[in-house]
Amino acid sequence: MTKTRRDALKTVLGSVALSSAGWAGASAQSGGKFVYANNSPYDNLDPHTIFDTARAASRFNLYDGLYRWVDNPPKMIPWLAESHSVSGDGKVYTFKLRQNAKFHDGKPVTANDVVYSIERIIALKKGAASLYLDAIKPGSTKALDAHTVEFNLSQPSAIFLTTVPDILIVNSELVKANEKNGDWAEAWLARNEAGSGSYALRRHDPAVGWTGRRFVEHFAGWTGQPFDDVEFRTVLETNTRVLGLIRGDYQGADGYLPYDQIQRLRQSPNVQIIDQESMRVFILALNTSKPLMNNVHFRRALAYAFDYDGFIANIMKGSVNRNPGPNPNNIWGTPPGLKGYSYNLDLAREELKKVTEPLRPITINALAGFSESEQAATLFQNTLRQIGVEVVVEVSPWSVVSSRMRNAQTQADIIPLWKSTYYVDPNNWVGELYGTRYHGTRTFSYYSNPEFDRRLDRALVSSDQEERRKLYEEMTQMVNDDAAGIFVYNTKWYGPYSSKVEGIRFSPVSNGQDIRWASLKRG
Amino acid sequence: MNWLSLVANRLIWFLPTMLGLLAIVFILSRVVPIDPALLAAGENATAEQLQQVRERFGFDKPLPVQFLRYVLDVAQGNFGISLFTQQPIIHDLVARLPATLELTLVAVLVAALVGIPLGVLCGLNRNSWLDHILRVVTVSGLAVASFWFAMQLQFLFSMKLGWLPLSGRIEGFPPTPVTNLMVVDALIEGDGDMLGDALRHLALPALTLALPAAATVVRFTRNGVIGVINSPSVAYQKAMGFPRRVIVWKYVLRMAMTATVTQLGLIFGILLAGAVVVETVFDWPGLGAYAVRSILQSDYNAVMGFTLCTGALFVFINLLVDLLQAAIDPRGAT
Repeated sequence: MTKTRRDALKTVLGSVALSSAGWAGASAQSGGKFVYANNSPYDNLDPHTIFDTARAASRFNLYDGLYRWVDNPPKMIPWLAESHSVSGDGKVYTFKLRQNAKFHDGKPVTANDVVYSIERIIALKKGAASLYLDAIKPGSTKALDAHTVEFNLSQPSAIFLTTVPDILIVNSELVKANEKNGDWAEAWLARNEAGSGSYALRRHDPAVGWTGRRFVEHFAGWTGQPFDDVEFRTVLETNTRVLGLIRGDYQGADGYLPYDQIQRLRQSPNVQIIDQESMRVFILALNTSKPLMNNVHFRRALAYAFDYDGFIANIMKGSVNRNPGPNPNNIWGTPPGLKGYSYNLDLAREELKKVTEPLRPITINALAGFSESEQAATLFQNTLRQIGVEVVVEVSPWSVVSSRMRNAQTQADIIPLWKSTYYVDPNNWVGELYGTRYHGTRTFSYYSNPEFDRRLDRALVSSDQEERRKLYEEMTQMVNDDAAGIFVYNTKWYGPYSSKVEGIRFSPVSNGQDIRWASLKRG
Repeated sequence: MNWLSLVANRLIWFLPTMLGLLAIVFILSRVVPIDPALLAAGENATAEQLQQVRERFGFDKPLPVQFLRYVLDVAQGNFGISLFTQQPIIHDLVARLPATLELTLVAVLVAALVGIPLGVLCGLNRNSWLDHILRVVTVSGLAVASFWFAMQLQFLFSMKLGWLPLSGRIEGFPPTPVTNLMVVDALIEGDGDMLGDALRHLALPALTLALPAAATVVRFTRNGVIGVINSPSVAYQKAMGFPRRVIVWKYVLRMAMTATVTQLGLIFGILLAGAVVVETVFDWPGLGAYAVRSILQSDYNAVMGFTLCTGALFVFINLLVDLLQAAIDPRGAT
């Protein structure tokens, strides 16, 4: 009998019961205040419209999901749900909610709140919605009783469970009371909070950030000496964040600072750097739909023309590891021994000789404000010039780049950018980046390969973990053979925290911003 | 011309000035390669939903029609909704304006209090060692990049000496505002600790903004004093036996101030623009920081709102300057 992926997940979930973490009946002592300096603005607190990892703090501290990703490698643990079951055809997921979970206003968390939350996500079509739009139709989710909720998927989905932590539950009564003209209270929830999370919102000022007070009645209980108050501030200037950490003004900051700033922070006795292998792959995304870019020999020439080692050694100061494929090194789905491409201009020239159509200038659209993206573009421009490929470098803010990416015709030929973790499954990377079904939404490549798509379709419905592994490995090999992207490194997360803080639990999904586990060192 | 007609004369120009500004800002916002409907609808919107958004916001209409609609909305105080804060932009601007005004006013005040006396001293002691030293200092003040100067101040006063806070407007999260001018609120509340805290937080960003402003004030005051000090009227006052102190600080300064006052008005506008950088470095929650975030997120309505707000302020300050000049020298009130 084949052990299915669901069976495996159930085993994992069962073994990570809340009681084993010592939460039940746990108590905590007063623990002071934690101030976090973030590089992104907290201009909107709505957990269903914001989805970027930079602002994970408001999603995961103010709100709870049915399950939660913790630690690295990430483990999915029961959260508002204590268990779930899946129907034989893989289309019906039934979750049993905890009896003791409450929202911050004291109202119990019920199945109706879960139903309202998923309906709201689908209706607003923002944030995490793209993970569910194909699988969950409006009105299909049912509350069987106060603590049982049933998701009826339109088709089996092997990744649904891994995306469940992104369904953050809002207090439906409170949100409904603030709806205006059928807006799902989008304006209200941008400035207010309706969650059950570990911290309850006290103040929000879009110009400054937000503060929260520990929710003592949180269902998971508290152990040790957690922080009583948290403050998440927007500090756009990197130098100010770094100096603030050194001075002790901030107890934490975002973990993707430039490496020279990390080295600077290491010198300070007030700061500790927690480093972890993340799941954030730096890619030179190739728009494979455009003339010339749709020629596999040209793409291989590009792949041979990027100086991977030079970039990692000189620009990244050796702070990251080479990642030869689309999936992060630390997740399954990559064929064993995949070497990827290496910098070899002779091989690049050989591939170029096989290109019959005339060359044209290639456009690289780097992300403004992200030095690695801009430096990769410049480095690539130099090496491509050596093989006779002219490059125009454009630098645009992310909003411009992402707007252009909606359409294959407007997306630039090459974009140096990162693919972050939204759920822990290779589909988050190789599947979304190269599947035809994701064109116009989550793809970076507009790659289209019927053989790839056939495997992807199967991988998305299969409940057999070994089959899925094999399929994703084959897909990754195809992407490599077709040079559908240029894969450079997997980001290392260097989380800067006050040396007085302990208990930070990093997960690539919440990026060390899930503060309930942290506390001040005593003594 | 009396003051009323002066104000009326200036206000006549207010409308075409703002309309011109509106047109420029609107056109710029439409040439940037982003679909505003896509930003409003969200990245997962279907083609049908995008079309609905286009129709709802009028993005499907010709540009002149869109412009007219925008002008009519602005005339009613409706700048639109911020795509990211989901709040009316007018609310966002009103919430942030006091922080920028407080910072800019303090910077102008510092620039005037430091720059005018130094300018007078330089003018009275033309080509002396003091004049030469201040010339070097003022040229340097104009040349130095404000973000670099801000970081040096942070490094010295916050990191090395530990005298002043690194960033922010007040320690911790700001209290519920009364006027949202921290110094004024502290005075209203009679809260000495808060007043000290607010002033300490103001010091470095205000100093950063004030340096180039003070340099300009020194140069213009100096030139004004030099122009006046050798005039027949001053010679007459000397002949009348007025004390030098009275001649300088009462008569010379008043006559020399016309150009300086004009400059202070211009400086105010320049500082509003300069606050974009300084607010970012010092994490100052004002209009400048809002503009930076809006630009980075391509929140066009917000960017247009910021530009109009700043433009209107600039025009208003210039009106005040004209009135002040008329008070100083009624001959120029035309």
